[in-house]
Amino acid sequence: MSQIGLDHPQQKSAMLNEATIRWSLWLGSKLLRGLSLLCGASFIIYATLRSAPGDMVDLILGLNGTPEMKADLRAEFGLDLNIIEGYGRWAWRALSGDLGISITFMPGEPVLSLAGPAFLVTLSIAVVSLLCSIAVAYGLAILLGPPRPRQAFLLGPIQLLNAAPSFVVAICLAKVINELIQFQLAGGGQIPPSWYPIPTYQKITDSIAPFCFAALSISLGDGLFTDLFNALRAELMSLNESLFISAVRAKGAAVRKHLIKNLIVPTLSVFTARLPLVLSAVVIVEYIFTLDGSGYLLLQAAKNRDVPVVVGVSLFFIFAVIVMNLILDLVKALVDPREVAKGD
Amino acid sequence: MTQKNMVLSLYKQGSLLLLGMIALVLCTPQLGNAQVFRYPESSKQSSLMPFFVENMSAVRITEFIFEPLVTKNKRGDIEGVLAYSWTPTPDGLGITFKLRQGVKWHDGRPFTARDVVFTVKAAQDRKTLFNSKSKYRFIKSVQAIGDYQVQFRFIQPKKKPEELFNFKIIPAHAFKSTAIKRLDKFNRRPIGTGPYKVEEAALRVTKLVKFDGYWGRASIRGVEMIHTPDSSEQINLLKYSGQGSGVQAVIFIPPKNLSIFENSDTVVLEPYHTVSWWYLAFNHKNKGLSDVKVRQAIAMAMDREELLGAHLGQGDILSGPFTESSPYYNFDVEAREQDLDEAKSLLDQAGYRMKRGVRTKGRTKLTLDFVLNKDLPNSQQLALSIQAQLKQIGVDVKTTFVDAALYQEKVFNRKQFDLTMNVWSFNEIEDIFPLFRTGAPSNYISYSNKAIDAKLDESRRESDYKAHKEIMMNLHQMLNEDLPYVFLWSLDIYSGLSRQLKDIFIQPYYYYSFFKDWSLK
Repeated sequence: MSQIGLDHPQQKSAMLNEATIRWSLWLGSKLLRGLSLLCGASFIIYATLRSAPGDMVDLILGLNGTPEMKADLRAEFGLDLNIIEGYGRWAWRALSGDLGISITFMPGEPVLSLAGPAFLVTLSIAVVSLLCSIAVAYGLAILLGPPRPRQAFLLGPIQLLNAAPSFVVAICLAKVINELIQFQLAGGGQIPPSWYPIPTYQKITDSIAPFCFAALSISLGDGLFTDLFNALRAELMSLNESLFISAVRAKGAAVRKHLIKNLIVPTLSVFTARLPLVLSAVVIVEYIFTLDGSGYLLLQAAKNRDVPVVVGVSLFFIFAVIVMNLILDLVKALVDPREVAKGD
Repeated sequence: MTQKNMVLSLYKQGSLLLLGMIALVLCTPQLGNAQVFRYPESSKQSSLMPFFVENMSAVRITEFIFEPLVTKNKRGDIEGVLAYSWTPTPDGLGITFKLRQGVKWHDGRPFTARDVVFTVKAAQDRKTLFNSKSKYRFIKSVQAIGDYQVQFRFIQPKKKPEELFNFKIIPAHAFKSTAIKRLDKFNRRPIGTGPYKVEEAALRVTKLVKFDGYWGRASIRGVEMIHTPDSSEQINLLKYSGQGSGVQAVIFIPPKNLSIFENSDTVVLEPYHTVSWWYLAFNHKNKGLSDVKVRQAIAMAMDREELLGAHLGQGDILSGPFTESSPYYNFDVEAREQDLDEAKSLLDQAGYRMKRGVRTKGRTKLTLDFVLNKDLPNSQQLALSIQAQLKQIGVDVKTTFVDAALYQEKVFNRKQFDLTMNVWSFNEIEDIFPLFRTGAPSNYISYSNKAIDAKLDESRRESDYKAHKEIMMNLHQMLNEDLPYVFLWSLDIYSGLSRQLKDIFIQPYYYYSFFKDWSLK
């Protein structure tokens, strides 16, 4: 009688199948959780907007609209359906990528073509400011090494400056830029400098300056940088002092590769945890720098009771956060497959 | 390589990247064009389609794109635009227009009588839903006679009927049926016969370019409307009114900002008169406010000169529902001045006595809910001042500020208010019938007075100009006595315009009616 070895092809294939099933189940559960979150959140937003006082049909027809005209217009906009039916119809279309059309803000314009580019502006500012802050935080953490009392002279003022809300930083920054331009124009000119042409809010190709200033305001405000610095430094220090790094050092091998691999998950965790907060901060800051992002679109659409646009823009925010969490889970699972085995 | 060296090398690379970015920023070509006229609007146009213009921003921008059959010229006389001559029938029940030949739509198709017929039929179609449908109700039938003649018949005889044909014409070939939907693509990329055609309707900016096939002349090469909700941002943009940047006009300069441009080398302040007036409205369903003595007392407790001067700048204090430039304004009726003793005496006569600081009669307390639209300029300061003034006679005012949509719901639909302040704007002459006639659509204050109703009906029937004017002047006096509203003021409006603009003439309502004559040096 022979014993079946671990490297037997049948056992290997069985293990592979088991792993595939486990991975599929794990991924499926994550996707399902994301989808249910998306549905729940979009329903809450839709229902809140539909039941909010103030109606878009009244806004449009005003005092001159007869009850018949108002009823016809409601039917034209699909507002004659109750909240559940209305949401059901919207969700069914959304599944095929149709988020509906704007009704009052830009009547007839597909929500996707409005919300997509606007959200891209917001997302790019959020991602750039987060990545830059993380890069600088790591740099500073490596340069400063473990915490020492003397560092308070440098870190104290940074923390103090970083304590202001990002929109306050943005207002101050916009004021400084304005004064700078005014000073440049003191000679009697009336044409602003080429690095900040006015008005340019539309595309990044118009001028990169407002985008950079918005990203800078986000990094400098809300304690973002200080938080990232503290979290990443602690992570770096604990890794540096861990046994396996000491073992690698003792072997004389390069530590860098191991450090980077082990820093991916905590960095991504910090990034994902901060993303929703940073996105909501960008909504206000981009408005200060008159960038046409989600902030502008959300505010105007809400003012005009444009339900499909508000739901569409909000959906992008929720979607981004869900996708980021999914990426984080995936990376975690790839780095440490025990996550999948746990079935978490 | 040590960790610190690694960081230093990273920073070296980073600083190179930063230098590259700065170079990119500095080399970014400056936008704009010397021959483009740019202006900001505090609200985005409701639509680019003439039927669906529901805010002033839409009224103004459609002036560039569409044209009517006739319009009023700079002297106020009727002048042909798409029509070059017209003949009213002797019975006043019809008119025939001869249309201009050689006019093209922005897509190159010719403009014909078919388009005029289509416009009227579409406006009258039950399924085309818009708020100014009443403008087209006087037309009984319309018929094209050949390609360049169109004949109208009216429901009732009209004196000077040509004045009613200032509505804009839309192209028949762009629509499948006369039932025009608000969400049609045409409404975002419309085709008109006007001097400018739509190039791009983006999120914040609407770009128009000169239409080369235009039958008339236009000097400026392009127009850009920039949605700028913040008025201080608009002022900031006007400071950079140089070529290729900033804006060249701000339609309304708030009084507090006038001093910035008073001695400016680059901007000129241009006054113009709008046909609009402010009022404080009473909800006549409120038991206390249905008493004329209470309304009069409130009017006499208010110092309108002070309110106007402190919060809105200059203007005329009004005694009735017309502006002083209106032919119907009755100068014999004097505006009430503040007289607190008289106001208190009126409340005493009405039976309201002071009880714990508030005037009370039986179970009716003069505690009023003052609902305001946040978008109304300086509404918060004005409301607080009015609150303080009315407190002096024992009227307790509680203020509520809401956004435009909620205001519609609360005030116009549910009538959940006692006091509100607002502005009526008219395109030419004030039509007060819908405001004060019992049950009329704009009579949201539930006002009803048989004598006023009879006078308003008489004004509608009267076709003789002198007799009509007499009726309106009488109405001015009657409304001043009965006070459905406290008539407040009309403002002196100033636009800020770049000195590079020449040959400017502002039409007070449509604003850009004479824009094709403007030039940008």
